[in-house]
Amino acid sequence: MKRAQMLALAAGAVVVIVAVVALSSGAPAPGLIDNGELSRLQKQGARIIDVRTAAEFTGAHIEGAENVPVSDLAAAADGWDRTAPVVVYCAVGDRSGSAAGVLQSMGFERVYDLDGGIAQWDGALAGGAAPAADAGTGPQVALSGLPILYEFYTDW
Amino acid sequence: MAPVVDRLKNEYQGVVEFRLINVETDAEGAQLASDFGVQFVPSFVLLGSDGAQRDLLVGEMTEEQLRAAIDALE
Repeated sequence: MKRAQMLALAAGAVVVIVAVVALSSGAPAPGLIDNGELSRLQKQGARIIDVRTAAEFTGAHIEGAENVPVSDLAAAADGWDRTAPVVVYCAVGDRSGSAAGVLQSMGFERVYDLDGGIAQWDGALAGGAAPAADAGTGPQVALSGLPILYEFYTDW
Repeated sequence: MAPVVDRLKNEYQGVVEFRLINVETDAEGAQLASDFGVQFVPSFVLLGSDGAQRDLLVGEMTEEQLRAAIDALE
């Protein structure tokens, strides 16, 4: 066998070994992940970052998550281990997409983004003001004699 | 979302009061959102003229969905 063929075979073997190790570790490929993959990463000790506002985080968040609003992420993440897995999520997946881009541009190697955000999360939540969906309850607000529509939003 | 809300705001002027709150820049508004139990943005809280909460809508809404919720207030 020629030397070049032997080198090619050796390189192929290395690729196979790396692939097998990656698969056996149970870690999903960086990028969008679903609830099951987030659960696995949680068990492996991944850092879970809720990039919504403090008010949204206080309302309810995924158990074990830290709150770093997307506008503060670059400064907060500067001291983090860039080789460790980081999962970001938001309400429905818009802001977390931006957050994942920020982390990737900073050189983070394993950035995961929960597809669909906390709105579709079916695991444990912490925090938890109960949704104020019942008619006739809620905080006192200044009245004007007209029905009122509040929209709560962010620019993200 | 803004064009839909702006359109409805103009249409319902004098009939329904629209209060638009950016929870990232308005701390008092963020507290109010929390008091209403808002967990996601955008969210819409609809109150009757007596201040009683009638509805809580979560997520992006179509103009038709918002219009139906507003019409149910009157």
